[in-house]
Amino acid sequence: MNSYSEKPDNKGAVISAKTSIPDSIKDLLKKAMENDVFDAVLIPMRVPAGDSFVYVLIQDKSLIKDASPFSPIMSVQGAKAVSSITRLGKGNLKIAAIMRPCEIRATVELTKLDQTNLENITLISMDCPGVMPISDFTKEPEKAMKLYDNAIKNLDDKIMRPVCQICDKSSMVSGDLHIGTLGAKKDTFFIISNSQKGKDILDKLGITPKEKIDSWQTKVKTISEEKQKKRKKAHKDLKAQIGGLDNLLDTFSQCINCHNCMRVCPICYCRLCYFDSDNVKHPSEDYLEIAKNKGSIRFSPDTTLFQMGRMMHMSLSCVSCGSCEDVCPMSIPVAQIFSMVADETQGLFDYIAGRDTDEPLPLRTYKEDELHEMEDAHD
Amino acid sequence: MNDNDLYPDVLVIGAGLAGIEASLMLSKAGRKVHLVENTSYTGGTAIKFEEVFSNMECSTCMVAPKQQELLQDKNINLIMLSEIENIGGSSGNFVVKVKKKARYVDLQNCIGCNACFEPCPVSLKNEFEEGLSERKAIYVPCAGALPNVPMIDTEHCIRFKGKKCTACQEACMFDAIDFNQKDEQIELKVGAIIVATGFNIYDPKQVPQYGYGKIDNVYNAFEFERLYASNGPTEGKILIKNGKTPKSVGIIHCVGRDKKGYCSSVCCMYSLKFNHYLTSKIPEVKISEFYTDFCIPGKSHQKFYEKMKNTGTNLIRADNIEIAKKGQGIVIGYNGGNGKQNSATVDMVILAPAIIPRDNTSDLAKILGINVDDYGFFKEEDKNVSSVVSSKPGVFIVGCSQGPKNIQESVSQATAAVGKILSMS
Amino acid sequence: MDRKIGVYICECGPNISEKVDIDRVIQAVSSLNDVAVVERYKLLCSEDGKKFLVEQIKKHGITHLVVAACSPREHQQTFMEICENAGVNPYLFQLANIREQCAWITDDKDKATKKAIRLTKAAISRIRYHAPLEKKQIESNPDVLVIGGGIAGIEASLQLASPDRQVYLVEKTSSLGGMITNFEKTYPDMRPCSEILKQKMDDVDKNDNIKVFTDSEVAELLGFFGNFQVKIKTKAEEIDAVNFDVGAVVLATGSTLFDPQQISQYGYKKFDNVITSLEFEKMNLSGRITLKNGKNPKSVGIIHCVGRDKKGYCSEVCCMYSIKFVRYLKDKLSDVKVSNFYSDLCVPGKSHQQFYEKTQGKNINFIRAESIEITKKGDQLSIKYQDEKGSKNNQVVDMVILSPALEPSSDSSVLSEFTGISQGDGGFFEEEHEKLGPVTTSTEGVYIAGCSQGPKNIPDTIIQAEAVAGKILSSLIPGKKIEPEVKVSHISESFCIGCKTCLDVCSYGCITFNETKKVSVVNEVICRGCGNCVAACPSGAASLKHFTFNQIYQEVKEAVK
Repeated sequence: MNSYSEKPDNKGAVISAKTSIPDSIKDLLKKAMENDVFDAVLIPMRVPAGDSFVYVLIQDKSLIKDASPFSPIMSVQGAKAVSSITRLGKGNLKIAAIMRPCEIRATVELTKLDQTNLENITLISMDCPGVMPISDFTKEPEKAMKLYDNAIKNLDDKIMRPVCQICDKSSMVSGDLHIGTLGAKKDTFFIISNSQKGKDILDKLGITPKEKIDSWQTKVKTISEEKQKKRKKAHKDLKAQIGGLDNLLDTFSQCINCHNCMRVCPICYCRLCYFDSDNVKHPSEDYLEIAKNKGSIRFSPDTTLFQMGRMMHMSLSCVSCGSCEDVCPMSIPVAQIFSMVADETQGLFDYIAGRDTDEPLPLRTYKEDELHEMEDAHD
Repeated sequence: MNDNDLYPDVLVIGAGLAGIEASLMLSKAGRKVHLVENTSYTGGTAIKFEEVFSNMECSTCMVAPKQQELLQDKNINLIMLSEIENIGGSSGNFVVKVKKKARYVDLQNCIGCNACFEPCPVSLKNEFEEGLSERKAIYVPCAGALPNVPMIDTEHCIRFKGKKCTACQEACMFDAIDFNQKDEQIELKVGAIIVATGFNIYDPKQVPQYGYGKIDNVYNAFEFERLYASNGPTEGKILIKNGKTPKSVGIIHCVGRDKKGYCSSVCCMYSLKFNHYLTSKIPEVKISEFYTDFCIPGKSHQKFYEKMKNTGTNLIRADNIEIAKKGQGIVIGYNGGNGKQNSATVDMVILAPAIIPRDNTSDLAKILGINVDDYGFFKEEDKNVSSVVSSKPGVFIVGCSQGPKNIQESVSQATAAVGKILSMS
Repeated sequence: MDRKIGVYICECGPNISEKVDIDRVIQAVSSLNDVAVVERYKLLCSEDGKKFLVEQIKKHGITHLVVAACSPREHQQTFMEICENAGVNPYLFQLANIREQCAWITDDKDKATKKAIRLTKAAISRIRYHAPLEKKQIESNPDVLVIGGGIAGIEASLQLASPDRQVYLVEKTSSLGGMITNFEKTYPDMRPCSEILKQKMDDVDKNDNIKVFTDSEVAELLGFFGNFQVKIKTKAEEIDAVNFDVGAVVLATGSTLFDPQQISQYGYKKFDNVITSLEFEKMNLSGRITLKNGKNPKSVGIIHCVGRDKKGYCSEVCCMYSIKFVRYLKDKLSDVKVSNFYSDLCVPGKSHQQFYEKTQGKNINFIRAESIEITKKGDQLSIKYQDEKGSKNNQVVDMVILSPALEPSSDSSVLSEFTGISQGDGGFFEEEHEKLGPVTTSTEGVYIAGCSQGPKNIPDTIIQAEAVAGKILSSLIPGKKIEPEVKVSHISESFCIGCKTCLDVCSYGCITFNETKKVSVVNEVICRGCGNCVAACPSGAASLKHFTFNQIYQEVKEAVK
C-alpha cells in the first residue's frame, strides 16, 4: 500500500514553461506517456460544445494537448472519476490523475473506505486557485473563461465559489506529486514529490529535485493564513446565520429532497443511499397523524432529516470540495455549512480528511485518552 | 460405585461473587444447584463497594446482572437466611442438613415497595452500613439489595419479644408479611460441595495504637466504602463527624499484617482506589499513604499506581505508626525509615486491615469435616495439585474462604471448582 | 397478517393504581389502530395474572402483546415465557415500565398519568415494527485445541479429556512441561517440581483422549465457537500438516523472561557471572552452582525487579523465587553470603510472608535498594546501589543473579491474530473482563490460562487451567447444540458498499468480508449484538435485530410527541 505519509521533500524541481504553464504540464505528461511511465492520463477537458469541462481518461497521447489542467469549474469531482475506474479492483493501466487538492483528499478518503485502489494510480495535485460556480460559467462560457484566466494571473478569487474563497488547503499536498505555481519565478513552476512513487516517477522522467522550494512554501503559508482568517470570519457569520433550530430549519426549508448534493458528493459512495430507500418511506397513517398533530405537513417531508443524516454520515470525511453547493437547484449554501461543521467534527479528533492514506478514520480507531469532554462528570 | 447413588446436584455455600459464578456455571451445564446463603441478600462483600480496581468499574453495576441471572435461574435453588447444620456421606453422595431461618416475608408476594419500613417502631444500627446509619427491625440491608425483599430481625423485633405489634403487616398491601412462617430444616442430597463463604476484615481495635474506636474520624476500609457509596448512609458524600469534608486524609496500609503473619494482597490496590475516591469527590484533598511494601502484582495494577501517584499523593514508607487525637484533627506519628519519628496531621484516617477468615470458619470446617490452616482459612490439600481441593474429596474451597485474594482470583477459583466437579462424572 | 395488539396494564396493587389514573391510560390507547383489547389487572406477575394473560391471548387471537407494568429487569422474562406458552413469538412483546420510571418517581398523579400514556403508546408504536425472532440451534464440536504444553496446558487437557471429548495438545518444543521443568523446587513448600510434573505427564501419556503434538505449531485457525478448523504444522518428518476440527481453543502459551541486556547497568552479557534467574534455575537443577572458572561462588547478589519499570508491572513471582534462591544457595553452599536487593517486597498470599520470615539468618541480607549498577571489580562484581536512607553503597560479590520481569511468549502476536483477541496490558492476552471473566476472551470459544494471561505462580496457573476446563465443560457439551444470541446484527447486501468499517469496529471478530460480492457478512453464531457495527456503518446497511431503526424511531417519536 502506498504511503503518503512522507512529508514533501524540502527540495523540488524547477521546470521552465516554454509557452505557458498549462502547456508545460501537458508536455510533461505527454513525455511521460511516451516513456511508458504512464499508460493513461485522467485530466479535465473542455467539452466540444464549449460550455463545460469534464474529466477524460486519455490513452491517445496526441489528445493531451486539448486538455485543461486548470479548468475553471469542477463539474465532476475528480475523486468520483478515479474511484469509478478502480471500484472493483486495481486495473493494469498506470494512470496519472491531475486533480485539485480537495479531489485528491477525497480520493484518499475513498481509499480508506475501500472504494478506490491506488496501486497503479499516481495522484498529481496543483496549487488550486479555486473554481467558479458552475452556473456562472455555463451562462456565458467565453466571458467566464476570460474572467477566470485573469483571476489566476492576478491571484484574485472574487469570482470563485464561496467555499473556494475561504479554502485554506488549496495547496495541500497529499498525493504523489505536486505542481507548485505559487512563489515560483516567472514562467517556471515547481514539481515536488510527496511519496516514493512520486520520486520514482521523477526519476523515470529524468527530473532531479534539487532546488530549494522555500519560496513556494512561504507563499503557500501566507496565502493559507490569509484564507484561514477569512474562513474564521465566514464561519462565525455563518454560525450566527444558521445557529439555533429555527434558523437551521429556515435555511433548509428550501430543500426539495432532490438529493443532487448527495449524488455529486465523492464521499457519498453508497450504492443505495439510506435516504433513497424504503426506510424513509412511511405508511400514510403516519403522514396523516403528523398532519393531525401539527395541523399540516409539507411534502416532501424529512428534508432536514436528510441533510442532517447525510452530514452525520459523511462529515468526518468531508473535504470541503463544494460540489454539493454547485449543484443545489435551490441555492442553499450547503457546502459552506457542511464545510464548517466538518472543521469541527474532524477537529474533535485532530483529523483532516484525506491528509494521509495511513491515517486511520477516526470512527474506526479507539484511543483510551480522548473525548474526555464527553465523559460523565462525577458529582 | 453404583451410578444410582451419585447425586448430580451441587451445594454451594455462600452467595457472594464466587458462589454466584459457580452456581450460574453449574446451571448452564444442566446441574441443579442449592445455593445456601447466610444473609438475606446476594452479592456478598462486593456490593458494599461503589467501585472496584483497577478500572474503577461500578461494582453494583458489575454484580447486578449476575444477581439477576441468579434470581431468574430455574436450576438454582436459592436458600437464604440459612446455615449448614450437618453433613453426612462422602463425595458423590453427601446428605446435607440446612437450617433455614424464617424471613417472615413471602418472597412471591412481596414486590419490594418498602412500605413496611416506615411504621416499624424499632430502630437500630445497620450492620451492612457498618453502623453508620440505622435500620428498622424489618429491613433490607441497603437500597438495591437483591432479592428486593425485606426480612424481620427477630432479635430486635418487639413482636418476637412478646409485644403485640403488627405495624408492618398492616402497611403491606400484598399480604406479604406472614408471622406464621417457621424456621425450616431442609435436607439436600448433593454430589459435591463448594464452600464460598468469603471473608471478614481484621478488627483494628486489636491494635490500639491506631486509635480505632477511640478517636473520631478513624475509619476502617468497609466504613469508608459505605461513606463513598451512592446508596450509602451519606449518599456518597465523604464527611467527617462534624459534618464537614476532610481536607487531608491519611491511609494506613498493613493494619494487622504483623499480627496475622501474611500479606492480604488486595489492600495496597484498594488503598489506591480510596485515593481515587477521595480525589474525585474532594479535588483539593491532600492524601498521605503510609505503607511498608507496595504490593501491587498483576499486569494492570502498576498502571493504576502510576496514575494515582500523579495526583500528588504523598507516599510514605513508614512503620511504628501511632495515631492520636490533636484538637479537631488527628496526628499520625510514624518512623519514616531514617530512624527519626515524624508526624503528619490529618482530618481523617482510613485503615486498611488484613483479610481474615469469617468467624464461623472453624465451626463450618468441623461440620464439613475439612481442615483449617494455621491462619484459620480453609486448608487446601495441595496447592500444587489444585488450591480449591480441600482435605475432603468432593468438598471444594474457593475465594477468600481459602485465603486472601482479589475478585479475579476468587472468580477463577470458583470456575476451577466447577471444572473439577463437571469433570468428576 | 392482521395485527391484533393486546394491551394490559398492571395495577401492581396500589403501586401503580394509586399513582396513575389507569382508566385514562386505557382510554388513550383504546382507539389506536390495531389495538384489539385493553384491560387492567391487579397483579399480572402473580400466578392468576399469568393465567389471565394466556387466556386473553387465546380468547382475542392476540398477535402482539404490550404490558405496561414494572421494569423489564423484573418480569421481561416472565411475560416472554407467557407469550411462548400462548403460542405467540416471545419477541412480539414489549414491556412499558410505568412503575420504576413513572409511578415510583413522582407524587403528581396527573404528570404520572401523562407519562404512563406516553410510555404505553410508545411501546405500541414500537411493537408494530417487531419481527418474530427464532432461536437457532447450531451443531457443535466438543473437542478442544490446547496450545502450549506447560503446566497450564497439561492441567487443562487432563481436566477436559474424556471419551466424548478429544483434546489436541500442541507444543512447540520437543517435550511437554514448559517453564517449570527447569526448576528444582517450588516455593513455599520447596516441593520438587519433577514430582509435580511427573504424575501429570504420566497421566497425559496414559490418556487416550489426549493427542500430543510436540515440535508443532498452529499454522491456521479458522471458524468460530463450536466449529473451529485447525491446521497444525509439525517438524516431524513423516507428517506434513495435520487437520482437525474442534469447538474451543485454549491459549496456554506461558511466558518468557525480559532480556536484561536491554538495561546496560545490570551488566548482563557484559560481565561474567551475571546470570538470569532461569539460567540459575538450570544451573541449580544440574546440581552444581559454579562460576565461570568452575569454582563455587562465596558470595551472591540477587537483584529483584529487573525490567519492572520498563515493563510497567510487577511480575508477582520474582520476590518469592528470589527468596527461594537464597534457600537453594544455602542448601548447597552452606557458607555462601547472599544479599537480595529489592525495591518493594511482594509476598502476597497466606503462606508467603512466612516463607520470607523463615529465610533469614547468618550471611543472609535483604537490602532495600534502588539505582542499582553492576560493574566489574577484578574477578568479582560490584553492586552499586542507593539504600533506604539515600546513601550510596556497594557490595562486592562473586555472582549476580538477575530476577527479570515476565513477558508474554513470542507467539502471542501471531496467536492473537489467529484468534482475533487483543494483547492487553503488558502484551499478555486480554481477558474478557478484568474481574468476572479472567479466562474467557472477546472471541467466544477462545480461552486463556496461566502466564499467557498475566504473570502468576504455579498454583494460580493450575487454577486458571481448571477454570478454563470449567468454562468449556459447562458451555460445550457433547451432543448439546449451541443456542446463539437471537438479537444479533444483520448486514443488508443491497446497502453494504464494502467499506469494511464494520470489520474494524467489531470487537468479537464475527464479521467477515465476502470478496466476490464485496459485502460484509455477520456470523450470527458468535455475534453478541453489541451494536458497534450498526453505529459505525456509514450506509446504514447494518441493523440490530429487535433494535432496528424503525423500532427505535417509532418508539422515541411517540414518546416525545
